Amino acid sequence: MKDVIVSISTPLGKGAIAVVRLSGQGCLSLALKVFHAQNVRESEIKPRYMYFGRLEIEDGVFEECLMVYFKAPFSYTGEDIVEFQVHGGVLLAQKVVDLCLKTGARLAEAGEFSKRAFLNGKITLDKAEAIIGEINAEAEGELKSSLQITNGRLSQKILDAQEELKLLLAEIEVGMDYPDETEEAALKTDVAAKLSEIKEEVCRILDDAKSAKFLKSGINVALVGKTNVGKSSVMNALLGQDRAIVTDIKGTTRDSITESFEFKGIKINLIDTAGIRETEDVVESLGIEKSKNSLKNSDLVLFVLDGSEEKTEEDKQIEKLIEGKNYITVVNKADKKRVLKKSLNEIEISALQNKNIDKLKQKIVDTVLEKEIEFNSLVLTNERQSQILEEANLLLEQILQSANTLDVMSMQIKKLWLTLGKITGNTENEDIINLIFSKFCLGK
Amino acid sequence: MERNYEQFDAIVIGAGHAGCEAALALSRTGNKTLLLTISLDAIAFLACNPSIGGTAKGQLVAEVDALGGEMGRVADKTALQIRMLNRGKGPAVQSLRVQADKNQYHSQMKKVLESEKNLFVRQGEVVSVEVEGTDKIVTTQLGLQYRANAVIFATGVYLKSEIIIGQNREYNGPNGFKNSSHLSESLEKLGIKLLRFKTGTPVRLHARSVDYRQMEVQLGDEDIMPFSTMTEEKVENKAVCYLTYTTPKTHEIIRKNLDKAPAISGEIKGIGPRYCPSIETKVVRFADKERHQLFLEPEAIDTQELYLQGFSTSMPAELQKEMVHSVIGLENAEIMRDAYAIEYDCIEPTQLKPTLELKTIDGLFFAGQINGTSGYEEAAAQGIVAGINASLYIKGQPQMVLKRNDGYIGVLIDDIVTKGTNEPYRMMTSRAEYRLLLRQDNADMRLTEIGRKVGLVDDLRWQKFLSKKEKMAEIEKILMQKVVVDEKLKKFFGENGEPIPKENQRFYDLMKRTNIDIFKIENAYNLFAGFDKQLLEIVNIKIKYEGYLKQQQEDIDKMLANESVAIPENFDYSSAQGLREEAKEKLAQIKPLNLGQASRISGVSPADVSVLSILVKKGKNEKFS
Repeated sequence: MKDVIVSISTPLGKGAIAVVRLSGQGCLSLALKVFHAQNVRESEIKPRYMYFGRLEIEDGVFEECLMVYFKAPFSYTGEDIVEFQVHGGVLLAQKVVDLCLKTGARLAEAGEFSKRAFLNGKITLDKAEAIIGEINAEAEGELKSSLQITNGRLSQKILDAQEELKLLLAEIEVGMDYPDETEEAALKTDVAAKLSEIKEEVCRILDDAKSAKFLKSGINVALVGKTNVGKSSVMNALLGQDRAIVTDIKGTTRDSITESFEFKGIKINLIDTAGIRETEDVVESLGIEKSKNSLKNSDLVLFVLDGSEEKTEEDKQIEKLIEGKNYITVVNKADKKRVLKKSLNEIEISALQNKNIDKLKQKIVDTVLEKEIEFNSLVLTNERQSQILEEANLLLEQILQSANTLDVMSMQIKKLWLTLGKITGNTENEDIINLIFSKFCLGK
Repeated sequence: MERNYEQFDAIVIGAGHAGCEAALALSRTGNKTLLLTISLDAIAFLACNPSIGGTAKGQLVAEVDALGGEMGRVADKTALQIRMLNRGKGPAVQSLRVQADKNQYHSQMKKVLESEKNLFVRQGEVVSVEVEGTDKIVTTQLGLQYRANAVIFATGVYLKSEIIIGQNREYNGPNGFKNSSHLSESLEKLGIKLLRFKTGTPVRLHARSVDYRQMEVQLGDEDIMPFSTMTEEKVENKAVCYLTYTTPKTHEIIRKNLDKAPAISGEIKGIGPRYCPSIETKVVRFADKERHQLFLEPEAIDTQELYLQGFSTSMPAELQKEMVHSVIGLENAEIMRDAYAIEYDCIEPTQLKPTLELKTIDGLFFAGQINGTSGYEEAAAQGIVAGINASLYIKGQPQMVLKRNDGYIGVLIDDIVTKGTNEPYRMMTSRAEYRLLLRQDNADMRLTEIGRKVGLVDDLRWQKFLSKKEKMAEIEKILMQKVVVDEKLKKFFGENGEPIPKENQRFYDLMKRTNIDIFKIENAYNLFAGFDKQLLEIVNIKIKYEGYLKQQQEDIDKMLANESVAIPENFDYSSAQGLREEAKEKLAQIKPLNLGQASRISGVSPADVSVLSILVKKGKNEKFS
């Protein structure tokens, strides 16, 4: 018996398309539960043909998609494989994975596709070492990300919820294993009330987890540059519409403005700072204070220069201000004659003529997501965790809805405890038994 | 000098609950078997509580019975009281417990052993076991020597045991029996690592001196299915138990005299079980508890001795008296036997395969408390497995491994050989992850076929099993009949507070309703005339819990996928590339049989198991390419 595994097979954050891959016996029927194509029935799907259809990403929200089916053993893993090709971007591909998970697939473990390929004889012996390396690297990556999360508030909450469950479980179990200890056996906790409490907590954690950085809040990009260098025009060009007021009068943009756009599934937040320069105007100096603040909170800085003039003293001051920050030099006004000297890591654009704007967007994403593997594992781990939390939430609902005898209820609660344990790493049954003996006075 | 050895197929050392089952399994499968015991009067002796079964342990007894073992039959036959525990908590955790007659239990089991034609029961203390090629030579303290292909160690708590009562430390076995003082060294010579554990037993009181008026009587249950499917006659309740409590005075006496308590003062070095603490340990560890409950249980029908459950102690004898007298209703109680703690040698169980054979020496098996477990039922369960496997070993056939989804026996053995134990291991339902499937009521359905295969299930048991299966199938067939939505059904549903179905359904579908079960259907429709009530109950559980049972089956299937990937016995972990050092060490120590067992070793991560699966496959390919 092989279960169906799923994961995103293309690197995240880049590329025009993303591939979501499913492997395992029965993955075609599973895929067809989410993939809707006209006049295509499972029996009619031919291996290695491409089918066009739609995925219902959310209620009533459809996304176009291509699907290919590989029949075992003629596939990478040697098992049935289905691949979805969807538009590029982290959010969308994650949503497709989510969809598959809800339909019964499970997230692939570290190196699992390659492992299956090897075990099914699809990869030659000499590749074994490479796969072992892959498994260990991915497992290590996951460990790192989960460690990051372990130190956080989120993980503390999950640990707390799991601890509560453990106590509840110990109380139920002790009544079953020691029915004679009548005083101990009486279940003192209201199980349903306790579970509802935990459910609320899990929902809260789930909301928190979903707002994982980059996935929800996106990349924060600050635009800096001396007054009237065209920051607002650059911003507008990136946003694709007029947001900030653009004038020729110096200092029009008094307050910093935050606007967002999505590029290949990644949200990018632009912070247009007021022109950074010393001023006696009180209102404007406030704006500058804010600019300095928004610089602090940014993941990346766009340092906008006017290509039609030499670097001024003011430019140099700003450069000093952003020293040590992760920044891209954006040379604007490419529509005019270039006077400015070339600098490292620069990109020449024309906000006015909309020239090289997409290139700039790509560069923003590339620069922030430079360490792509780390980014992958962070997102994946988050995805794994929120998936586990979803699973826990579902289990909680089931337990609360059904009126079962204690033996079944404890089985369900145990399952719930183990599910949360996939995040916290606490899955030793001995822990529960230890708790039973430390909390309750038992024995002949 | 040419020595004259008496030759056997197998020798079992120790005739406690493990030894008896092992010897019976061996002799009944056609092996000439010698059972050696320190005292013939200690055969199947209930050295501590006079009861068999209890939560999780009841399941073990039923499983031993299903494999063709003896414990269940003897317990049924010698029962003084029978109770089904956890009746309100669901079928998975329901367990049978009987108060057994200690004297009759011993003599009944002795009778069974004596009537076995291939079995030779003999008194004698084994002082050494030596290995000569595939032969094992067993020597007794009188210099008698025996030779056999297989030896099973079932020495219980007798190895270098010491009895501790206060400052009094006696080099002795339980209950005044002699201990075994040389075999430990012999085991160490064979390279076996030993541990030192401890357990204890409470006082025994004279019944005439007990004031029952302030105690709560504990009656047995009526109409209870016995342990053994072979028991035909109804098990009657012949005696009662009583419940009483300690008082603040008891606790005060204990607190004042803690310096005299060997368990607290550090006098006792052996590791005791947490689930069976002495009364002084309870008072210290649970200081806020105002009282502790105690049970008075009859030891046998022809004696006045009562067992005071919950009052295990190693306090000095004089103090024990004072403590007992502070208990409600025991103000004038006469102590007949003192409570004591016992320290003993046992082996580190991770040295064993899941077959209970020693990893390092073929043909040496271990069962019972010598493996660091506790309890009669745990011992019997290991005894029958060791007996079956020693028999298969002698015949050169592949040995039997019970998996975690086969029964509590599988859980028990897998736990101790994979994880080891740092206290006497007691079976609990919480240890079994598939306990909804591992019920007492279906133990025969799970294990009789295995017992038949290994030759322990005789024709009579086998016929009974087949006919039970047939009858259950008949019941299920009847339930598949359609039932018409008529006035009768409407009334039936109305009475049970269930919404009336729109279409005709099968009785089976009706059973899925929360408020309807097979007995209500039987009352309304009279479908099962002539069928045993207990059979109906079994089918009822099967159908009512179908959904959850299916869930557990899915979990089991996932587990079995790993369980089916065997790891070669000589797998070289030290040079295994890609495994973490910690994992290498643990794996090399435990030498798991398969990936499943490997995954349960603490310190082995899922990534390690993944890597291992690749290495195993790689090894196989290289060998055959």
